[in-house]
Amino acid sequence: MKGIDLKTQETTGHEARGAPLNPGRRRALRALAVGAAGAWLLGRGALLGESGGRAVWERLDAARERLDGARPEPGAIRLDLPGVTQDGSAVPLTVDIEHPMSEEDYVEALYLYALGNPTPEIADVYFGPLAGRARLSTRIRLNQSQTVLALARTSGGRWLAGHRDVRVTVSGCLSQDGTYDFDSLMRTRIRVPPRLRSGEVGDVRTLIDHPMETGLREDRQGRTIPERIIKEFRAEFEGTPVVRVRLYRAISANPYLRFPVAPDTSGELAFHWHDDQGESATEAARIEIG
Amino acid sequence: MSNDGKSFIMPGTSITRRQALKRMGLFGFGGLAAASGLPVYAARPPAARVAVVGGGFGGATAAKYLKMLRPDLDVTLVEPARRYYTCPFTNLYLGGLRDFESLGHDYRELGETFGVRVVHERAEDVDVDGRRLKLSGGGELSWDRLVLSPGIDIRWGALEGYDEAAAEKAPHAWKAGPQTHLLRRQLEAMEDGGTFVLVAPENPFRCPPGPYERVSMIAHYLKTHKPRSKVLLLDAKDNFSKQGLFMEGWAEHYGDMIEWVGLSDDGRVIRVDADRLEVETEFGTIHRASLLNVVPPQKAGVIAHRAGVTDDSGWVPVEPETFQSRKVPGVYVIGDATQAAPMPKSGFVANNQGKVAAAAILADLDGREAPRPTWMNTCYSVIAPDWGITVANVYEVTDGELREVPGSGGVSPSGANAEFRRNEARFAEAWYAGITQDVWGSRPTG
Repeated sequence: MKGIDLKTQETTGHEARGAPLNPGRRRALRALAVGAAGAWLLGRGALLGESGGRAVWERLDAARERLDGARPEPGAIRLDLPGVTQDGSAVPLTVDIEHPMSEEDYVEALYLYALGNPTPEIADVYFGPLAGRARLSTRIRLNQSQTVLALARTSGGRWLAGHRDVRVTVSGCLSQDGTYDFDSLMRTRIRVPPRLRSGEVGDVRTLIDHPMETGLREDRQGRTIPERIIKEFRAEFEGTPVVRVRLYRAISANPYLRFPVAPDTSGELAFHWHDDQGESATEAARIEIG
Repeated sequence: MSNDGKSFIMPGTSITRRQALKRMGLFGFGGLAAASGLPVYAARPPAARVAVVGGGFGGATAAKYLKMLRPDLDVTLVEPARRYYTCPFTNLYLGGLRDFESLGHDYRELGETFGVRVVHERAEDVDVDGRRLKLSGGGELSWDRLVLSPGIDIRWGALEGYDEAAAEKAPHAWKAGPQTHLLRRQLEAMEDGGTFVLVAPENPFRCPPGPYERVSMIAHYLKTHKPRSKVLLLDAKDNFSKQGLFMEGWAEHYGDMIEWVGLSDDGRVIRVDADRLEVETEFGTIHRASLLNVVPPQKAGVIAHRAGVTDDSGWVPVEPETFQSRKVPGVYVIGDATQAAPMPKSGFVANNQGKVAAAAILADLDGREAPRPTWMNTCYSVIAPDWGITVANVYEVTDGELREVPGSGGVSPSGANAEFRRNEARFAEAWYAGITQDVWGSRPTG
């Protein structure tokens, strides 16, 4: 599996300061009114098709760089996202790829982008064959109506693409609290099937308490709250990678990751989370086969 | 009465309605109809037929305003109930603050005063090509324009273990009627020291502040009658409507009786066992209840699906200016069944949407462009007797989409004193009296 080069990743993307990803309601209105003009226009363009008949991936620099001249094939990637969401701070997303996951041919990487966010990267996901299926669920931040894009690369070097449009509204009956309780920082939750039949694909859920502070938000005194995010998650079965995720600021607070696992022997599934301030957490659970 | 911003935040009844009407330009319409009377329309060809399905806040309003604005129109309202009980304020009934009968309304004014033909049958099916409605009595109703205001239906089975049989043991009480009575009876039978568990769904669902007002009123009942009991709210969301104000009110009135567990604290329920009164959360915690109230995932009322106006979300996409279906021309859909976010699924908004649809239908029949609408909404919630909170907003269409008018509303202030909250509770009562008078012609009873 390919490693994750964090240094090069962190400098990519558009820097559009002043456009909070997880703002309070009033702040969101203000941001739409005065700030974030660049991000707003990018999103409108993507939605209204102002960029003409180009494919979604062609509209995004980061996606074109990732593809490096390759043309992805449509059809195999299914994105499950609500068409309309009233809470852009935690939009449930499931990506499911119709492709084998055998030692010979498997989906090795999945890249997720939100075209209308101030920085488009959502997550880079690296699957191992033990995942059993190239599927991932999480919750993401979308600061406006926009298109979510998924690109996947198979071990054989093929590229796949899929996308979905999401309308984000701010509900008059919803209000959000901008504060985060640090008492439970790095507290983890996992759910692992204790027993699986050989060849059965099990369902794993994880969550870690973390603000995923975007670095794009201001406190009440108008000072920018520094970025602080979980940047890496790994799940390994007896030392063999199942899934590895590079998370970006578009992953919602208290990152939630749900993915499959299909071990062929009994053993331990271990989890590791790392944030960008050097904090980390680990968890483990046994899976019996038979 | 002033017209300043404050009146949106704490509106009295009459000003709310009057402002809503004025903003929609309906005062102008009404005045015109009243001043010019029937002769204006007497020369018209045979009156167009409008069928309205559903006699709740949306449908009854649409039927009344169609006839009020155009008395020679042929308007039929199809609603099975002779007496309609509103979902708003059922929480106050559960808490012991209201008599259930005070939530009931009839269709006499619609029929006798406005000349709406009211048919107490169920609309079973719609033939959108033949423009016919099939009724439960076996008859058919032809229409030139159709208004659907079917409210919500439960997505049975969408939450594992929660089907119609389960709802007889663990009620939803998200439609006023037998379910409401069942929940009240269970509450009365619950032992002191038991745990009331409410399961709250993901967005969107009917009445965003509803689950939180529900537990407030349940806590009021328990504090009064069974003070050793607990209330546990398991939520599939991390944020909810008027969250700060609810939390503040709960601490003020109920101390630590109410515990709220949000999504990130493993509050999302993925399985219900109604026989054991147990629920299982996403990360495997089992909660056992003495009384289990499940607010389940929802969708547009079944007739909307039959009419083919819903999309894969289960709700109805509409043209924002008119509330005409995006999928079937000539069919207008209003109320909780629609995808009208950022407007909430509330009775207040359904009433506004009914007026907008009525004006749009008349414009369409006349070959005119529909008037440019503005909607408003206030969601009142009562946390304890004499303790109310509100959220209010105004909406309009900008760039072809429904939007909140910036700065048009907001929530009532946190940290307000008892007198302020008492007034908000009074406004809630006054709102109910005012809107039920507008929709059904009801007069508050003693």
